[in-house]
Amino acid sequence: MLYFTLASKAYARNLHYRGAHMLHNVASALFGYLYACIWIGIGADRPLGEYGVHGMIGYIAFTQASLWVTGFITNGLGMQQAVRTGQISLDLMRPVHLFVLYMSREWGQIAYQFVYKSLPIYVLYMLVFSLSLPSYWTTLLYAFAALAAAAYMSICVNYIIGAASLWTTESSWLYWVHQALINLLAGFFIPVEWLPSWLQTVSWLSPYPYLLYVPTRIYLGYEQGGMLLGSLCWCLIFTLLSLLVTVIVRRKVEVQGG
Amino acid sequence: MNIKYWLGLYAVLIRSSVRSRMQYKLNFMLGTVLAAIIQIAEFLMIAIVLNKFGAVKGWSLHEVGYLFAVMTLSKTLYRTFASDVHHLETYLTTGDLDQLLTRPVPILMGLMSQNIRLMPGELLQGGTILIWTIHGLMDSGQITWVVVPYTLLAIVTGAVILFSIGLATAAVGFWITRINELQTLTEDAAQTAVRYPLVLYPSWLRSILLIVIPVGFVNYVPSLFILRGEYGSWLLYGTALIAGICLALSLKLWKFGLTRYQSTGS
Repeated sequence: MLYFTLASKAYARNLHYRGAHMLHNVASALFGYLYACIWIGIGADRPLGEYGVHGMIGYIAFTQASLWVTGFITNGLGMQQAVRTGQISLDLMRPVHLFVLYMSREWGQIAYQFVYKSLPIYVLYMLVFSLSLPSYWTTLLYAFAALAAAAYMSICVNYIIGAASLWTTESSWLYWVHQALINLLAGFFIPVEWLPSWLQTVSWLSPYPYLLYVPTRIYLGYEQGGMLLGSLCWCLIFTLLSLLVTVIVRRKVEVQGG
Repeated sequence: MNIKYWLGLYAVLIRSSVRSRMQYKLNFMLGTVLAAIIQIAEFLMIAIVLNKFGAVKGWSLHEVGYLFAVMTLSKTLYRTFASDVHHLETYLTTGDLDQLLTRPVPILMGLMSQNIRLMPGELLQGGTILIWTIHGLMDSGQITWVVVPYTLLAIVTGAVILFSIGLATAAVGFWITRINELQTLTEDAAQTAVRYPLVLYPSWLRSILLIVIPVGFVNYVPSLFILRGEYGSWLLYGTALIAGICLALSLKLWKFGLTRYQSTGS
C-alpha cells in the first residue's frame, strides 16, 4: 500500500505540469517525424527489408512513443540530488528498502509518462501516418508486457547509475551514455538486424534490444510472446544487481552538503 | 570604457570560469571522454544507415557527414561561450539573475562568462568527422582546398545563428519563465533536423527550418555552395548577413525582455 502511495504521489505531482508537457510532446513527436522522414527518403527508391516504408514509419512511431516509458525516465532516479543534498542518508534510514523506495516513485512517474506522453504521441502518429492497431489483442498484451519489463529494466539501470553518484557525486554523464546506447543498440532508429554484424553481436549480448526493439517487434507482429523470456531473464539479473548495489551503498554512504 | 576594456574584462572572467571548472579534473576528463562517445554513437546511427542503403535523396555519406560536422562544431562554439544563455531558466526560477543585475558588467556578458563549458569531446568528434568528409570529397574530386576557409566561415556564422536562436528563446523566458520545453523545440529538435539534408523534409517543415528558426543556414545552405557549387559564393555572404540580422534582432528582444524581468518570490 505504501508503495502504491509513493507511486501515486509521483504521478499526481506531474499532473501540475500537464500544459508544459503537452508542448514538449509536440517537440518529441517532431523528433520521430524527422526520423520517419529520413526513412521515407531512403525508402523512396529501394525496398526497406521486411518492413517496407510504411512498416518503418510504424516502427519509428512505436519506438519514439515507447521512449517515454523505457528511455526518458528520471536521471539516476534522482539519487544524484539526494547524494548532493544529503537526503540520501534519510532515505537510507527509512524502514523501506532503498531500491523499492526509489522504484515505487519511478513507477508513478512512468505511469504518468505513459498516459500523458506515450499515448498522445502515438495517437498523433496514428492520425498523421494512418497507422493501425495490431489485429490480435494478445499482440497488444504481449507488447504491453514487454514494455513493462523494459520499464523495470530501465528503473534498475538508472538505480545503478544513481548509486554511482555516491562515489563520483556527478553521474549524469553515465545517464547520457546510457541514452546514446539506447539510440544505437536498442534499435531506436535502426532495427537491430541492420546493424553491422559485430555491433549486432554487441547489442544482443547487452540488455538494450529488450528496451525498445523487442517490444516494437512484438507489437508489429514480427515476433511472438516467446521473446518475453529474454526480457524476464534480464529483469532477474537486474534485480539481483540492484539488490547487490544497495548492500554496497549502505556501507559506502557519506553525507554531503548541509 | 571602450571595446578593448570590455574584451579584456571578458577574458578575465572567462579565465576565472575555466579555472573554477578545472577544480573538478576527474569529472572534466570523464565528461570529455563520454561526450565523445555519445557524439560518435549519434553519428554512427546515420552513418550505418547510409553505409547500408547508399545515398539519400542524392546526398552521399560524406556530404551528410559534412552537414553533421559543421552543425556539431557551430553548436560547440555557441555552447562553449554562451553555456548559461541556454540555462537561463535556472537563473529565472531561482532568482540568481538578481546577482548579475547588481554587477557592474553588462548582464549578457556576465551570463556568458559564468560556467564556461570547455567541450573538447565535441570538438574532437566534429573535427574528426569534418576532416574525414573533406578528405573523402577531395579524393573523389568533388571539392578542392578552397572549401577549408569557406567551411571555417560557415562554422562561425553558424555559431552566431545558433547563439541568436538561443538568446531569443532565452529572452522569451522573461515572459513565460519556464523555457526548457520551448528550447527542446527551437534548439534541440531544430538542430537535430538540419544534421540531415533539408530535401528530406516536406516543404512546410523546410520553410520553418529556414525562416522561422533559421537553423538551415548553419550548415545546409552554405554546403549547397561549398560542396556542390550551386548558386554562387554570394550564398555564403548572404548567410553571414542573415546571421548578423538574427543577432541584432535577438539582442533587441533580449534587451526588451530584460525590462520585463520580475524576480522570483522565494
